[in-house]
Amino acid sequence: MAPRDVRAAREAGVGEHVIEVRGLVKRYPDITAVDGIDFNVNRGEVFSLLGPNGAGKTTTVEILEGLRDPTAGEARVLGEDVRSGYRRIRERVGVLPQDFEPFDRLRPREAVAYWAHLFDHAVSEADVANIIETVGLADRASTFALNLSGGEKRRLGIAMALVGQPELLFLDEPTTGLDPGARRELWTLIGDLKRKGRTILLTTHYLDEAEQLADDVAILNHGKIVAHGSPPALISQFGGGTTIVLAGAGREGYEALPSRGIAAELHGVDVLVHVPMASQVRPMLAKLASIEMPLTEIYTKRSTLEDVFLKLVGARMEEGVLAA
Amino acid sequence: MKRILADVSAFGRQYLRSRVGTFFALAFPVILILLFGAIFSSSGTPRVPLAVQDLDSTPASRGFVQALNNTTLITYQAIPTNANFQDYMRAHSINVALEIPAGFQATLIQAEMGNASAKVNVTLAGDRTQSSFGIVYSAVAAVATAFNLKVANATEVVSVDESQFTVRQFGYIDFFLPGIIGFTVLTTPMFGMTSICAEYRTRRFFKLLATTKLSKAEWLAAKVVFYVLLLFVSVAIMMLVGVVVFGMQATLTPLAVLLIIAGTFEFTSLGMVLGIFVRDPGTGEALANAIGFPMMFLAGSFFPIDAMPPFLRTLARGLPLTYINEGLRATMVFGNDGTALTYLLITLGFAVVFFVVGARGLSWKSK
Repeated sequence: MAPRDVRAAREAGVGEHVIEVRGLVKRYPDITAVDGIDFNVNRGEVFSLLGPNGAGKTTTVEILEGLRDPTAGEARVLGEDVRSGYRRIRERVGVLPQDFEPFDRLRPREAVAYWAHLFDHAVSEADVANIIETVGLADRASTFALNLSGGEKRRLGIAMALVGQPELLFLDEPTTGLDPGARRELWTLIGDLKRKGRTILLTTHYLDEAEQLADDVAILNHGKIVAHGSPPALISQFGGGTTIVLAGAGREGYEALPSRGIAAELHGVDVLVHVPMASQVRPMLAKLASIEMPLTEIYTKRSTLEDVFLKLVGARMEEGVLAA
Repeated sequence: MKRILADVSAFGRQYLRSRVGTFFALAFPVILILLFGAIFSSSGTPRVPLAVQDLDSTPASRGFVQALNNTTLITYQAIPTNANFQDYMRAHSINVALEIPAGFQATLIQAEMGNASAKVNVTLAGDRTQSSFGIVYSAVAAVATAFNLKVANATEVVSVDESQFTVRQFGYIDFFLPGIIGFTVLTTPMFGMTSICAEYRTRRFFKLLATTKLSKAEWLAAKVVFYVLLLFVSVAIMMLVGVVVFGMQATLTPLAVLLIIAGTFEFTSLGMVLGIFVRDPGTGEALANAIGFPMMFLAGSFFPIDAMPPFLRTLARGLPLTYINEGLRATMVFGNDGTALTYLLITLGFAVVFFVVGARGLSWKSK
């Protein structure tokens, strides 16, 4: 294999749009799955499409992968229109589809070599071993895929997506259905790929995953992007800043605060004080410390994407499903 | 070409590692050959059992039974003279039975002496719908005619002489094996492809493949190449069993090889055409069975098409497998390469149509 120098490409084109989406629509007779969305993905960044099941994430990604035709709008990947030019960029893109399953009776090393040949890449055994090593499957390289764990199967899928040293990786819900340990391991792998300069479009319904891995997040709901930005920017804009938790303060603590001009919220036996600006946290802590109340602990809690999602969508998300 | 070879290699490994596929491609046809070969090859023409109640018990009636036995079509079994004929048949589950009445010999003597009104009826009882009844009826009628000629003191003017019409001495297995090869050419690729299409759709392998540079035509071509190689091995094993176990004389001619390749091309493609309509493994299996089973019986894999009623013979002419079975028999048994070549061209015509429809009609993408 003659690997392209992804890092060099990234350095040469930082800020360049690898994906450009304008007014993208995918309409079915009974539903509009994607409803006029716009976004760009810059070279070298991890861009996450975040949303519950049915939000339109996979439909969007499959349009960008050349697997579905859009109803309207424009989508360009690596400068090519996905409707007319996908054949020209197929080998520059790696795909891990949703619910990826490997070929049961192929070993990881055989599957990777097979996949490389389907992209016309001449791979040596060393190249294959290198890819398998990259995804942490070296000690399972000769095991039938049938006998791999869920996490190992996804790693094999990522290995297959990496065969051509692609400039752009599509990872469609790579950790769905995995146990927490396997999810964390995949996060590490995706983080490594990011550090090596790969551009990654990641879809997920795990808010913590997007917050951990993504440089840029678009929150999708009912086919529309309801918010778009970096996780810190979204949290800052929609998350409500920092929350000071007065653990064990109870009703007595809660009732002591209004007279000092502090707005608070009783949450079980804890009292929560929201501080919108980071600069106000320290003075507020000093003020609270001067008030007599029963306390077991004081700690601060930064807002997360979960708070952003709750505020924007009006519901929490549990395993991809909106909960009341 | 590299992509096709890579797919042949990867698919082949998976196929051969699945023991079910290997069994049906390699072992199952051999089992059929051994089974049918043992039934029809070892004992020559099978005899039909015939129960006879001889109520006359005279030299003439015993001579009639002996003449029946000499036809080699029946095996004789006696019904006691004191038993009720029909009750005995029912009690012993006898399909065909003959009753020779008392006075059989006396009537023959009267006829020989010139009594023109002397007549005697032997009674053949049984189920007319059974083929064994027809065989026995022919034997009894032939023996009765011979007795009539003898009584009339007539000479036999027209007689039948046997002659071998093929170049070599062929046995049942020589006619049967081309049908089994045709059966394997139908079932292995067509059932396999239908099942593969169902699996690839439900497990989203088609979508995965659609992200590569492999085209649908290349994918289908890879399957054709693999199944041709697999069927070469399968046919070699079948031929070996036919020759070693049954002393088969039929040979694998170059036209037979071309017919096997063209047939594999045809039925792999037909499997992909069926794959267009398959959404899950259950419907895949049902569809392949619905198409495959009638075809394997109607196209003469196991029974000669000429033995079928006229409307089924017409139907058989529309089935692609017919031309493979008949073409293989034409070239392997009769040495009729002209007919085999015509059937090869017809098979190739079917194959090209199925390939184009399959490659264009099967969608790997989502709507």
